[in-house]
Amino acid sequence: MKQRLLTTLTVLLLAQQSFAEDSLLSAETKNYIGFGAIIGMLLLFLATLLVLLRTFKVLTKAVLKLQGYTKQQIEAELKPAKKEKKPKSEVWQKLLSLKPLSEEKDILIPHAYDGIHELDNPTPSWFMVLFYGTIIFGLGYLMVYHVFGTGQLQDAEYKTEIAQADAAKKIYLSKAANLVDENTVKAVNDPAAIAEGKAVFKASCAPCHGENGQGVVGPNLTDEYWLHGAKITDIFKTIKYGVQAKGMPTWEKQLSPKQIADVANYIISIQGTKPAGAKEPQGEKETVEKLALN
Amino acid sequence: MQPEKFYYDNKIVRNFGIATIVWGIIGMTVGLIVAIQLFKPGMNMGNQYTTFGRIRPLHTNAVIFAFVGNAIFMGVYYSLQRLLKARMFSNILSQVHFWGWQLIIVSAVITLPLGLTTSHEYAELEWPIDIAITLIWVVFGINMFGTIFKRRERHLYVAIWFYIATFVTIAVLHIVNSFELPISAFKSYMVYAGVQDALVQWWYGHNAVAFFLTTPYLGMMYYFLPKMANRPVYSYKLSILHFWALIFIYIWAGPHHLLYTTLPGWAQSLGVAFSIMLIAPSWGGMINGLLTLRGAWDKVRDDVVLKFMVVGLTAYGMATFEGPMLSLKQINGLAHFTDWIVAHVHVGALGWNGFLTFAILYWLIPRIYKTELYSKKMASFHFWIGTLGILFYAIPMYWAGFTQGLMLKEFTPEGMLKYPSFLETTLRIIPMHMMRSVGGTLYLLGVIVMAYNLARTMAQGKLVANEAAEAMPLEPVTATTDGGSWHRKLERRPIPLMVGALIVILIGSIIELMPTMTISSNVPTIASVKPYTPLELQGRDVYIREGCSNCHSQTVRPFRSETERYGEYSKAGEFVYDHPFLWGSKRTGPDLAREGQKYGNAWHYNHMLDPRLMSPGSIMPNYDWLISQTLDTTTTRAKINAMRKLGVPYAVGYENQANADLNAQAQQIADNLGKDKIKVKSDKEIIALIAYLQRLGVDIKANKTASK
Repeated sequence: MKQRLLTTLTVLLLAQQSFAEDSLLSAETKNYIGFGAIIGMLLLFLATLLVLLRTFKVLTKAVLKLQGYTKQQIEAELKPAKKEKKPKSEVWQKLLSLKPLSEEKDILIPHAYDGIHELDNPTPSWFMVLFYGTIIFGLGYLMVYHVFGTGQLQDAEYKTEIAQADAAKKIYLSKAANLVDENTVKAVNDPAAIAEGKAVFKASCAPCHGENGQGVVGPNLTDEYWLHGAKITDIFKTIKYGVQAKGMPTWEKQLSPKQIADVANYIISIQGTKPAGAKEPQGEKETVEKLALN
Repeated sequence: MQPEKFYYDNKIVRNFGIATIVWGIIGMTVGLIVAIQLFKPGMNMGNQYTTFGRIRPLHTNAVIFAFVGNAIFMGVYYSLQRLLKARMFSNILSQVHFWGWQLIIVSAVITLPLGLTTSHEYAELEWPIDIAITLIWVVFGINMFGTIFKRRERHLYVAIWFYIATFVTIAVLHIVNSFELPISAFKSYMVYAGVQDALVQWWYGHNAVAFFLTTPYLGMMYYFLPKMANRPVYSYKLSILHFWALIFIYIWAGPHHLLYTTLPGWAQSLGVAFSIMLIAPSWGGMINGLLTLRGAWDKVRDDVVLKFMVVGLTAYGMATFEGPMLSLKQINGLAHFTDWIVAHVHVGALGWNGFLTFAILYWLIPRIYKTELYSKKMASFHFWIGTLGILFYAIPMYWAGFTQGLMLKEFTPEGMLKYPSFLETTLRIIPMHMMRSVGGTLYLLGVIVMAYNLARTMAQGKLVANEAAEAMPLEPVTATTDGGSWHRKLERRPIPLMVGALIVILIGSIIELMPTMTISSNVPTIASVKPYTPLELQGRDVYIREGCSNCHSQTVRPFRSETERYGEYSKAGEFVYDHPFLWGSKRTGPDLAREGQKYGNAWHYNHMLDPRLMSPGSIMPNYDWLISQTLDTTTTRAKINAMRKLGVPYAVGYENQANADLNAQAQQIADNLGKDKIKVKSDKEIIALIAYLQRLGVDIKANKTASK
């Protein structure tokens, strides 16, 4: 038995070491494995103890038999008569510090208010535990945040949250192909990208620029006149950062770089479509080179 | 000694009872309308007097101060006379109290839809009504203490301790939260600004729950429950402990309404710690009630009145456990500003206040009319449909709260908000809002059935307006009769008891309020934050009038999900000129603290005309009257003067120039709109509102650019 335990321990320890080296497993997975190992160990202990208990019983029986006890005597020795169990409700009443109703007259306060009597019951002990418990919690809470300084107040908590998020984002973006920005964006005529862009346009841009880019509050996007440049990099930049003075919001926080690029490509694709109700031209004349769809 | 004969005044009890029922139905109907408005903007009925922003305060005021208020007075006037073995002190004061209170409610029903509001939640009524409330409250106090002084019962029963604590604390809360500087007959500015105003408001708001919705009801529970069940109160010791602990601890917990705002950290932490400590004292009332029913549970099965009491007490227990949990920062960060809070307060209001009120009405009306209840079946129907109504109300709202709270915090792996458009989260919970209004309808239906049942009960009986009673006159206290514990002695002395309660509630109030009010380092100033221009100030008052803060908060919390969505998190120094603060408590729409310069003027113009033009699917009502109504600039002078008096640094004499500046800025905005082919005169209210919205949260950005 002892040997078995030792082997298990060694295996677990070794296993943990190998997990540590394996960077493919995330910290979370490792945690789960750790918990699993601990629970597994506990279960093993339990099983061992049960087996031991059984062994002792068998041994006792054998020893008693050797000493000349009869079978009945042995049974009586091993299973002493159980104490009378208290009725369940009584246990319950004790737990709640309740006195039986029959004793109520002893604790009745004689004075009555408009016929209302009061009992002189003590405050239930569980209630006092709860009360003192919350007071200790409250004091502890204040200590943690304002005396020991171990708890983070909101400004510090915010910094931590942002730092963690930035780190996670960096790792993700280094893997994903989502690194496009206003310097690297390329005009493409990929129908899938343009369709994506169209969907985003309908949802986010149409209220101001019109369903077909004809212009409503915002300018017409289908004519040859541009306020902030007609190059794909310019359009990308206008969408990403917005133009505060003219009421164009920034979309950096709402659209991913890929989505912004798609919308920019969609806008190029609708050049010269002359939709109904087009707004009058604004800005400089600038021709956009439209790539033929392949 | 001969027993004295006297008469209980049942007529005043009956009057408050009828008022309770009538205002209950009105308040809940308005509640149902505002609930439907949240998924059907058409229910705003296309006029300014019935929009959500204006009638949501009407709903809260009607159910809290009219329904619950009248119910409190009904219960107090009935039980006080009987517990003290004396008729009410003065018939005239009783009448003045009754009619004065109804008049205050009627004035609320008129002024709130007109947009006359201070914008302080649950204290929206303007300064003349605040004064009227104070006077009527004093009348109530005199009448109560007058009765106590002529009592024929030496000891004050626990119910009366709660009534006394209610009286003194509400007086303190109401007065401190109503420090306003009037600028006209129906308009005033709060004396405090920004974070200080917020602290006072939520110290008030939280304790209005404590001392208007809780303590008087606990007092009533202590009288009516033992009467209904014919059982002794479980524990006198528990009564003493939980009474003093409750009133002492409750007063500290207000700041849990302001977690993650610019309130100083120590005040927030105190709010959290004391909220947790509040669990046991609150539960003390519940267990003393439920254990009083020991040995009477068989009665609960048959008696609908006791059923109402049990569900009411259970709802109280749930709400007072949930409240402290919601105060924990981690849970609050998710739940605050969502429907979770709405669900929480309705468990308390519908379950605890509503059901206790119904139980008392069903018990008391037949008694003062010397008859039986007209229909037990109907009352039983009311109980079941009411319980069902609470479930149908609360469960969808919890669901909606979790859903929206989680959606607003969700990020994609790219580090973008998963739902950058706030509207998307609003649309997701619309089915839950529909369910909630079904729950509300069921609950209201039950109340209407009760009204019919009680009206028939009154019709079949005859009011015993003056009920004969007898009691021995009070013997003077002698050294031999003045025994017992210190508390026993205190129970014989109403004034020391009142003073004791007052001291207990003032301790927490002073420790929490004073430092933020007086120590300037608690509100760090920001140099670039400047007072509003006259046009912006007028626009802000339009914002207040329309009740925008009922749906839009103005405080960005320091969470990544909020700084990504709205912009830099709010700083205390940004609000120093906000008399009153406008942080709001619920985000039915997005936060507006950083709204300035996010969109163009034309966007705002079209959005106010019909929000669905700019945000398809939006549930915001149209505000087209802002475009046709002319801005009242005659008030500018008074407003600038009042603001200066409150410490806003407008130069002396600026009031003479203010309207000229106002017109110039308005013309600029009108011209800008003209470029987008929007023709609007510069003297319209919409121009002022746009000016205000474009200013929100901009000053701090200016600071950034300057320091770069």
